[in-house]
Amino acid sequence: MVNFTVEEIRGLMDNPVNIRNMSVIAHVDHGKSTLTDSLVQRAGIISAKNAGAQRYTDTRPDEQERGVTIKSTAISLYGSLVDDEDLKDIPIKTEKNDFLVNLIDSPGHVDFSSEVTAALRVTDGALVVVDTVEGVCVQTETVLRQALGERIKPVVIINKVDRALLELQVSKEDLYQNFSRVIESVNVVIATYFDKVLGDVQVYPDRGTIAFGSGLHGWAFTVRQFASRYAKKFGVDKNKMMQRLWGDNFFNAKTKKWVKTPEEGVERAFNQFCLDPIFRIFDCIMNFKKEETAKLIEKLEIKLAGDEKDLEGKQLLKVVMRKFLPAADALMEMMILHLPSPAVAQKYRMETLYEGPPDDESAIGIRDCDPKGPLMCYVSKMVPTSDKGRFYAFGRVFSGTAKSGMKVRIQGPNYTPGKKEDMFMKSIQRTVLMMGRVTEPIEDVPAGNILGLVGIDQFLLKSGTLTTSETAHNLKVMKFSVSPVVQRSVEVKNANDLPKLVEGLKRLSKSDPCVLVMITDSGEHVVAGAGELHLEICLKDLEEDHAGVPLRISDPVVQYRETVSGDSRMTALSKSPNKHNRLYVTATPLAEEVAKDIESGKINPRDDFKARARILADDHGWDITDARKIWCFGPDTNGANLLVDQTKAVQYLNEIKDSVVSGFQWATKEGPVAEEPMRSVRFNIMDVTLHADAIHRGGGQIIPTARRVLYAATLLADPGLMEPVFLVEIQVPEQAMGGIYGVLTRRRGHVFEEAQRPGTPLFNVKAYLPVNESFGFNADLRSATSGQAFPQMVFDHWQILPGGSPLDKTTMPGKIVEDMRKRKGIKPEVPGYENYYDKL
Amino acid sequence: MLYIIGLGLADERDVSVKGLEIIRRAERVYLEAYTAILLVDQSQLESYYGRPIILADREMVESKSDEILSGALEKDVAFLVVGDPFSATTHTDLALRCRQHEPSIPTRTLPNASILTAVGATGLSLYSFGQTVSMVFFTDTWKPSSFYDRIAENASLGFHTLVLLDIKVKEPDLKALARGKIVYEPPRFMTVDQCASQMIEIEGERKQGVCANGKLAVGVARLGNADQQIIAGTLEELASADLGRPLHSLVLCGTKMHDMEWEYVREFAIDQAKFDSIWKAEYAGKG
Repeated sequence: MVNFTVEEIRGLMDNPVNIRNMSVIAHVDHGKSTLTDSLVQRAGIISAKNAGAQRYTDTRPDEQERGVTIKSTAISLYGSLVDDEDLKDIPIKTEKNDFLVNLIDSPGHVDFSSEVTAALRVTDGALVVVDTVEGVCVQTETVLRQALGERIKPVVIINKVDRALLELQVSKEDLYQNFSRVIESVNVVIATYFDKVLGDVQVYPDRGTIAFGSGLHGWAFTVRQFASRYAKKFGVDKNKMMQRLWGDNFFNAKTKKWVKTPEEGVERAFNQFCLDPIFRIFDCIMNFKKEETAKLIEKLEIKLAGDEKDLEGKQLLKVVMRKFLPAADALMEMMILHLPSPAVAQKYRMETLYEGPPDDESAIGIRDCDPKGPLMCYVSKMVPTSDKGRFYAFGRVFSGTAKSGMKVRIQGPNYTPGKKEDMFMKSIQRTVLMMGRVTEPIEDVPAGNILGLVGIDQFLLKSGTLTTSETAHNLKVMKFSVSPVVQRSVEVKNANDLPKLVEGLKRLSKSDPCVLVMITDSGEHVVAGAGELHLEICLKDLEEDHAGVPLRISDPVVQYRETVSGDSRMTALSKSPNKHNRLYVTATPLAEEVAKDIESGKINPRDDFKARARILADDHGWDITDARKIWCFGPDTNGANLLVDQTKAVQYLNEIKDSVVSGFQWATKEGPVAEEPMRSVRFNIMDVTLHADAIHRGGGQIIPTARRVLYAATLLADPGLMEPVFLVEIQVPEQAMGGIYGVLTRRRGHVFEEAQRPGTPLFNVKAYLPVNESFGFNADLRSATSGQAFPQMVFDHWQILPGGSPLDKTTMPGKIVEDMRKRKGIKPEVPGYENYYDKL
Repeated sequence: MLYIIGLGLADERDVSVKGLEIIRRAERVYLEAYTAILLVDQSQLESYYGRPIILADREMVESKSDEILSGALEKDVAFLVVGDPFSATTHTDLALRCRQHEPSIPTRTLPNASILTAVGATGLSLYSFGQTVSMVFFTDTWKPSSFYDRIAENASLGFHTLVLLDIKVKEPDLKALARGKIVYEPPRFMTVDQCASQMIEIEGERKQGVCANGKLAVGVARLGNADQQIIAGTLEELASADLGRPLHSLVLCGTKMHDMEWEYVREFAIDQAKFDSIWKAEYAGKG
């Protein structure tokens, strides 16, 4: 631990070239938090009271208990390179050998992916942790994809090498082959999401972008480190040595020659120079060869303290390895040399971060990481304070300097420049440094740094942009890879506690980037999350912390989507209450690819309409004139339903556009079948007749009419129900495979991929499983495979619920609809289209 | 029989004698209270008519008209409308419903004074009025400007334009409505100065000079009442005029403004000299 004063840290902040903002990302249980610990113990800046405790960044009791990270946590580290000469290897000119590394440890469980998204937004680099034995898993791929989408540069550590050595007892060559396979699969993922601006970010051991090690034992190395050691010995250039220490390079000790093909009695250079010392240490210590151990320790110039000399076995192994190859050194070196500083990263991230034009003052401030530019700060999540019900806004300054007391514009996700909605002018009460469990007040924070803000939590729901520029657009709203598809309703056991529940729900919504909190018309309070675990944690927080009152919690239910499977049988017509305005609309299904592109943000409501029309015409076969006349997306102005104006020469049409759009947002948020959100429907406005006078066609007349006509159009177009489907990845030994199939079939799931992990008896099974059938799946699977199968489930896509029309009560979809309607307290029968259709 | 009875503009005593007789003997009496309001409250009406009155808001008239019409086939129902029943309202729909009813309900209409005719008090000749337009309350996102085209059409023929001003007696809050809830906004009535400002605002967008700062206009308030008020001046002057409590209307003068009209209107001018010089330069003899 380095003990720094706040002033000293503040000094480091002024030098963007010497800052690294990075997240640690991985599949669950690949050892992120443990690895982070080894960094914190060595380089943590402010010592917490219980420094040295395990899982430093797991700040919550339940995280410690379950051994799983739930929230992402930031921590600042001080780093320097062992050798000042190494500064030359940093791609951008760096003078001082002092580095401020802001590290965010993020959860690996898929249910908490939104935390990862929030972490990635404020960082420029990522340390991807991959388990040697398990290799690249579904979540490794997901987080890597997210990182690359945000233009975040990865470096990799292959972790848990100790397990390979101790448990699997692999040979050196086996281990090398294993490493190559893992690296290759990482690079396949990286190559798939290639981004021209970011360039080639595949990782290579011989370039120093991969480390190997054991977080648990606290050791790690890069090929570069070994190359430095041997470069002196062999008298060759370090970079040349690095090339030789990976791949098909072999060294013949007798002839002292390097060769490219293996020969009898010649070992691969990597095995000979990097792995051999490690294997020998393991061999000596674990087989209790005391004399050899002593010799080896001396040869490697490892100094043991008095009492450490008496240790044996694993304990001794840990101490020796930690001193021989300290993990913190390898990781620090890799991060400082290969991850970009904000000064570098913001140049190429600006256009993906900023919604406004690339040449306005805010864009330029971000691009140049200019502490004197207008303030541009993105708040990516809220962190609860010790003061109940209040939150720190956690984020990053991309331009300008955030100061305590500064008056800023707080722009929420729905803010549009030039308008007043979703915008507040307020003062930042205080700026603070976020350090795991503790916070430290700090006077100001310049561009390129991560910070916490006090006093703005009431004005932002979950995330948003802070700025001092009146013309600033928003920093792009985050797209989450998970959707809140599982929901449970809550009610208080004691009626007097209701206000506490309402307040608690507000707090819960703030504290989690992904959770959705709703109140239905029948007064039911609903909490929706990404998966069972996510929801369980949220509800526990709600009950124990945010609301603090006993709750009754319903069984989990699934959020469905309403859609149409055909074209409207006839054009729907609805008249306004005063009968002087008439809307004619048809509904038709949207192609699944279009819906997916909207959901992934590829087709964006905020894009230039001409560019968007081009994509729709070129990639999806839309008529270009139609594509240019998309009035809006919905629900929430960004959902996968479209309203298209197909009218010809209707007078005053632009004067009712806003009202029709409002009605559309309302209708798509609560569809006609079961008041579930709609998805993948295209509505065409065919014709409109209007009263000549604006006073008789205001919002009060048009909004309800728009909703009614959209409902009628939907009901006339074979409405269908869509259910969410999980992608399930299961790791299982061969003998337990049979059990998986049985469980999946019973639950309407099906396997679509099955592959053996090379070199292991483990199989990787991928399957689709409807979310509705996933409750209790884990337990079921465990009992069917005697606890040998480990599933990971992540939302993948929507599919039409099979079994008939949801309007027919005798079908399965019909029953689900009836149950839903009863639960929501609306009349069980779906009203016919006649209720919304007016005759001419 | 459904009697649709105009109440006139000012207070309870503007009703016709024939109308009063019907009100006194009708089975039920409804007062439509959203397209215009009287200057007195409901209780004053009830005590003068000697009858309880059912207030019919927009929702009731537009969406629950069956309630109003129930029993109208056998008995008499009076439906009171402030002003004149079919002037600047949408009540044709109610009359249509009676006609479409099975069997159809007979209706009878009793006309009364309307702002459309009372505006003659300004001295501007009713023969020279063009299309009537309404001015709604602008919001940040909704600024319907089609009235401008109507005024431009009138102006091209030299006609005056009567501008009726928005009233929101019991209108739902649109933001809440779009979330499926009905929350009523507090009542609001547009004033002459607000109307003039909005006209000038749209002029800034359209720039055809139809509603320019210097155009002559007349503002009226509470016509037909003892405290009725009329003022004349440029739009710019009206944009800062205060005509007191509602209801207000505005007339934008056309170039057909005759000498006689001018002579009468100038007495209301805020700045008579200015009014005269503008009329002489831009209106006189141009119609």
